[in-house]
Amino acid sequence: MSTVTRPSASLANERRKDLIQKFAAFASLIVMILVFSSTSEAFHTVDNAMTVALQVTSIAYLGVAATCVIITGGIDLSVGSVLALSGVVAALAVKAGLPVTVGMLLGIVVGGSCGAVNGLCVTRMRLPPFIATLGMMLVARGLALQITGARPVSGLGEAFGVLGNGSLFKIETIGADGFPDVRFPGIPYPVLLMIVIAVAVSIMLSRTTLGRHIYAVGSNAEAARLSGVNVARVTMFTYVLSGALAGATGCVLMSRLLTAQPNEGVMYELDAIASAVIGGTSLMGGVGTISGTAIGAFVIGILRNGLNMNGVSSFIQQIIIGLVILGTVWIDQLRNRR
Amino acid sequence: MRPDAGHPGRLDLEVVLEERLAPAHASASGPAKTPTAEAPYGTARHDGNAELLRLTGVTKRFPGVVALESVSFDLRRGEVHAVCGENGAGKSTLMKIISGQYPPDDGSIIYKGNECRFASSLEAQAVGIAIIHQELNLVPHLSVAENIFLAREPHRGIFVDRARLRADARRCLDRLGVDIAPGTLVRTLSVAQRQMVEIAKALSLDAEVLIMDEPTSSLTETETSQLFRIIHELKRAGVGIIYISHRLDEMTEIVDRVTVMRDGRYVSTDVFRETTIDKVVARMVGRSLEDKFPPRTSVPTEEVLLSVDQLTRTNVFSPVSFELRRGEILGFAGLMGAGRTEVARAIFGADLPDGGTVRLGNETLAIRSPIDAIRHGIAYLSEDRKANGLSVNMPVASNITLAHMDAVSNRFGFIRFAAEAAVAQRYIDTLGIRTPSVRQIARNLSGGNQQKVVISKWLFRDSRVLFFDEPTRGIDVGAKFAIYELLDRLAAQGIGVVMISSELPEILGMTDRVAVFHEGDLVTILETRQTSQEEIMHYASGRMAASDTPDASGASQ
Repeated sequence: MSTVTRPSASLANERRKDLIQKFAAFASLIVMILVFSSTSEAFHTVDNAMTVALQVTSIAYLGVAATCVIITGGIDLSVGSVLALSGVVAALAVKAGLPVTVGMLLGIVVGGSCGAVNGLCVTRMRLPPFIATLGMMLVARGLALQITGARPVSGLGEAFGVLGNGSLFKIETIGADGFPDVRFPGIPYPVLLMIVIAVAVSIMLSRTTLGRHIYAVGSNAEAARLSGVNVARVTMFTYVLSGALAGATGCVLMSRLLTAQPNEGVMYELDAIASAVIGGTSLMGGVGTISGTAIGAFVIGILRNGLNMNGVSSFIQQIIIGLVILGTVWIDQLRNRR
Repeated sequence: MRPDAGHPGRLDLEVVLEERLAPAHASASGPAKTPTAEAPYGTARHDGNAELLRLTGVTKRFPGVVALESVSFDLRRGEVHAVCGENGAGKSTLMKIISGQYPPDDGSIIYKGNECRFASSLEAQAVGIAIIHQELNLVPHLSVAENIFLAREPHRGIFVDRARLRADARRCLDRLGVDIAPGTLVRTLSVAQRQMVEIAKALSLDAEVLIMDEPTSSLTETETSQLFRIIHELKRAGVGIIYISHRLDEMTEIVDRVTVMRDGRYVSTDVFRETTIDKVVARMVGRSLEDKFPPRTSVPTEEVLLSVDQLTRTNVFSPVSFELRRGEILGFAGLMGAGRTEVARAIFGADLPDGGTVRLGNETLAIRSPIDAIRHGIAYLSEDRKANGLSVNMPVASNITLAHMDAVSNRFGFIRFAAEAAVAQRYIDTLGIRTPSVRQIARNLSGGNQQKVVISKWLFRDSRVLFFDEPTRGIDVGAKFAIYELLDRLAAQGIGVVMISSELPEILGMTDRVAVFHEGDLVTILETRQTSQEEIMHYASGRMAASDTPDASGASQ
């Protein structure tokens, strides 16, 4: 009877929707790759694949962070500025004679601290996340410009460039079958870091109590609080994570350029939010996955790269990416209304 | 088996969502009709018992389910026609068809002699069919007058004619005998007052058919009787009212006829005077309900479990003292806003008290947040399930384990999914939660089943003291019975249960003692077996002051 058919049908429905969402984003990614491969000779090359992967990394780091914050029902607009501040702090520290590793860790700590301030503003001062992080966006950018006198920091030495430009080569080995394995073309460190971060955060979200609490806070903060979830601490964590990942992004970007630019990363927060939203994260909170965001980041990255390859002007690119964001979220809305 | 008739249908939810969207849309593009303050009231359109509305063989299918199967219904002028049925019986779907939100797949709607097919709720509204939703649809930041004439404001040039707006609104409210200033902001009004505004709005639209969905679910007794007075007025003016309520007892005062539905089917229509509530209930559940309450099997012990001494929250409630014994069910009775929920929340740490002590066993507790309370084994099930109790877009299993994640995760914080699923399945089985799977999203369950999920959450937490705030609000008869049985079973296990309830029969049927609240005071504590509905009401309405009674906490013996 209806009592039985209704819930099972709805569950199947729920699953199907989930699949369609994942599939739709992924399918559009594939379609894009096919289209660009046919329109541009250079698109379908290993070199270009690596370029795309590299370009995607910064969006992906920030997208992963944005996903966590957005799942709690918040938003972090400060990441673009925070990455600039972290990058220049790391560079100045290295310039002052600190080892590169220490300098970069310092940069990440600075990023995490900015996130902590955001978190405190949201949890203690009860500012709306939009306002709290908008403030930090201005403060961090101002600080970065102030401490560098708005000039790029260069002459950082080769060691500073390793993180951004180096890659991991698989060493030739003799396999069990007696044949030497083919030499791996090399995975850039930033790409490696992206995979590590995405996998780690994905596991954190889906398999740990902390992750469950993040979803619970975004799904119904009051219910979570009354269930004994430390809502302030969970919220705080996501902002610190966001700041720290912005810090790491800053270090990677500046390392790649071998120069620390205080005006780097303008509007990156919007790319990050866009990748999360394209990947199915709901700005209402409680819904979102890292795999979705990864797809979202690649959608943006490949779109940009492919349009570049086809000689589309950057103005037109902006228009197209804007329309893609509107389209994806609209489809998502339609899906949820069904 | 307890037929709790839970239809964990997701369709219902979507319906609710649409309900919320539709009126907003409706008012935005509303008909450019001049506001007629000279509404139906008093005008001569009372032509006896003429038929207003007739539905024949109405059928509505949703993917995978037949929500309504060949349902017939009719409404006459000046009558109150109640529609009863458990959750998921199809009442809401039927109302949505009448009010134009859904087109029927089959069957006919005849309104005032003409066959109608409404394309939207706007069309139904235009011909005089209005619905007052359970969750009211008013704009909180606008005034009463602005709400009544939203999107139909009287104009003078391009400006709103504010004077006329107020005067028209004033007339609407006066006709209902409602004492609300038209300039008051809606957000400052009580739920009852908002309802009156909704009714005024419906009447200003010339409504001849008024659908009221659970209008009394959040009203006090006084407010309810005021509403009933208005309903009587409306009847006299020839308005036909379709009345949906879970509170069957109150229907005797207003209802003329009653139609019962079950599982999307029409069961019966009777003249209310010629039937009994027991018969109606039996038809609703499809069985005769021996008793509304299960026999109490638990016996309270003498051992004091929780003792609250002089607990205070300034301006919210005066110092409150009471004791809860192991295995006891203590009722908190009183009117809305008497401070019952606030006391429970203060003990639970959801709001911080300004003074007083809470002792559990021999230990004095320092509770700064719900986290502390939960650690000590105190649980609070909030009255507003959806707002405070349930994470509606999380799966059933996640909801059940949310308060006790440590038990289903390893020491690194990784969730043991198999263990979690097993725990969830255990509670689904023992409490009879109707869900196709532990992974089902909570919002897709019916109200009664959602409530059981919330209860499971606290049972899994091994709570020693459970505060149930209106545990049976908005859930159907069968599910209520199951929850009563559960309360009894919990008490039998030595758990101290506090049941906050606005339904006196429930207090009398289930508790051992009852603490009566009035305007932030715990007035007295009565032995349930030695008291009556009248005595409790006496204290709850403040007709007997605290000073007239012996020491409040001492009254327990």
